[in-house]
Amino acid sequence: MSPSETPEAIRAENLVKTFGSVTALAGVSMRVARGETLGILGDNGAGKSTLIKILTGYHQPDSGQVYVDGKPVRLSSVDEARALGIECVYQDLALVNGLSIYHNMFLNREPLWGGPLRLLDHRTMRRRAAAALEEIGVQVPSVEVEVGQLSGGQRQAIAVARAVTSNARILLLDEPLAAMGAREARLIIDLIDRLRARGDIAIVMIAHNYAQTLEICDRVMLIQHGEVTFESRTATTSAEELLEIVRREYRAARAG
Amino acid sequence: MAAGGGLARRAYAFLLRPEASVIVVSVALVVYFEIANRNFLTDANVQTVSQFVAAPVIIACGEIMLLICREIDLSVGQVFALAPFLMENINDFGLPVPLAILAALAVCALIGLTIGLITIGLSVPSFITSLGMLFLITGLTLTISRGYPANAPDSPVLTGLMGAWGYSEIVWALAIVALMHVVLRHTRWGLHTTAIGGNIVAAAEAGIAINRIKIGNFVLTSTLGGLTGLLEAFRVGSIDPLAGGSNIMFLGVASGVIGGTAIAGGAGTIVGGLVGGIMLGVMQDGFTLQGINAFTFDIIIGAAILIAMIANIHLARLRGRGRG
Repeated sequence: MSPSETPEAIRAENLVKTFGSVTALAGVSMRVARGETLGILGDNGAGKSTLIKILTGYHQPDSGQVYVDGKPVRLSSVDEARALGIECVYQDLALVNGLSIYHNMFLNREPLWGGPLRLLDHRTMRRRAAAALEEIGVQVPSVEVEVGQLSGGQRQAIAVARAVTSNARILLLDEPLAAMGAREARLIIDLIDRLRARGDIAIVMIAHNYAQTLEICDRVMLIQHGEVTFESRTATTSAEELLEIVRREYRAARAG
Repeated sequence: MAAGGGLARRAYAFLLRPEASVIVVSVALVVYFEIANRNFLTDANVQTVSQFVAAPVIIACGEIMLLICREIDLSVGQVFALAPFLMENINDFGLPVPLAILAALAVCALIGLTIGLITIGLSVPSFITSLGMLFLITGLTLTISRGYPANAPDSPVLTGLMGAWGYSEIVWALAIVALMHVVLRHTRWGLHTTAIGGNIVAAAEAGIAINRIKIGNFVLTSTLGGLTGLLEAFRVGSIDPLAGGSNIMFLGVASGVIGGTAIAGGAGTIVGGLVGGIMLGVMQDGFTLQGINAFTFDIIIGAAILIAMIANIHLARLRGRGRG
């Protein structure tokens, strides 16, 4: 399935963002189709996080335009971005460790019962949380377990599941595999695979690990100094090719 | 999963809960005091214990909500002393006692609102805001009362309802505990209070109105403090400008923490506050019956609070390790 044939989910054109004298993004363009997964690689400070924060409405670009479903949008707040179906999962920031899985999954979207008494409908939350996790294949001992007792991979999976059940259609994952062992990472990689197979969600993930990114993503993009320096379908590139580009830059930096 | 295994696991999980250990210790203390002194389980003494327990427990209900969302109110004991004088003065202006009570409670709520607004709006830690309030309100109470005690308003029906019957204060306390338990466990307010204390970034990300909930919990705590002061005034029949104070506030906070409320926020139960308050009340009354002198008594209470808190912190770790 070629990305150009599937409907476009999100597109950014010529995004520029400066913080004082620092140029974080110097004209970055990107495009992700529904059902497609784009991996963004780059050094710390290259501009990856700034790009993600513009797409989530946290930062506003100095110039450039974002399109959702082909229509130009202004993402002036996180709530606005969320209303358009853009949801970001930050590692370890998203969940309350002291609360159960099902409370976390419905945080601030809790179903209520009892009419004017407005009591929490724990039963519905438990049932729907268990069903949602099963649907996307996340295994937990019980939805009543406190999130703090889960492993890093399970927590990340819960955070992704929450974004998906809140009708995210454009999912931004900030370093979803950082600080994770191989088995834990496998949990998330499989989850992303299943979400991609659904075909209705566009995924943008920031990553460090080249091999993992190539395995998970349909396309990969390299950002250096606020610019896209390389972009390719993962099928037609390799970790060696990516490494060579980065190595060239290091050599240039040393020479300069 | 076999039903027996599930039951055993549930029993084990319950025993690791802070409330359970406090209940076990309280029962042991009751048995000990009853054996050591045959007068412990008489009706008169149970009444006395219930009166020791009631006030800290009601105060604990407010402080637990605040502690869970990482705040504290040090001035609640001073609001406790101020409320009856407010009621008396408003009554003197000609308002009937029931309305005077409501007006006094409204002023207490305003005090809570002020603490909340200063803490949230001006980013002052609530420890500091409420410490300032503590002195400010003490001065206010002494000014209003001119430093003299006064008689509680004479209103037979209301007096009976508010505190003259030996058990009325504990009935109030239990009703408030039941209500606050529902608020904490079964409403969005309670869940969001816990979420704020557990991970404020995640709570904000989820769109929870953090400031509104924190300020609301300050209002709640001050109002409960005022209500406790009024109940106590009707029970005792007189109003003392130096009643309550930091002592009652610390007993309330200690009840909550002994019952498992985390000082660092994010966890706690109202029922824990109740059992913590019962344990402190049983000790207070029991050692008094034993005839232990006041100085020794403070040493024992202090040590007991320390032991209970140390035990709870370590039980919490054990609970974290015993995951499925």
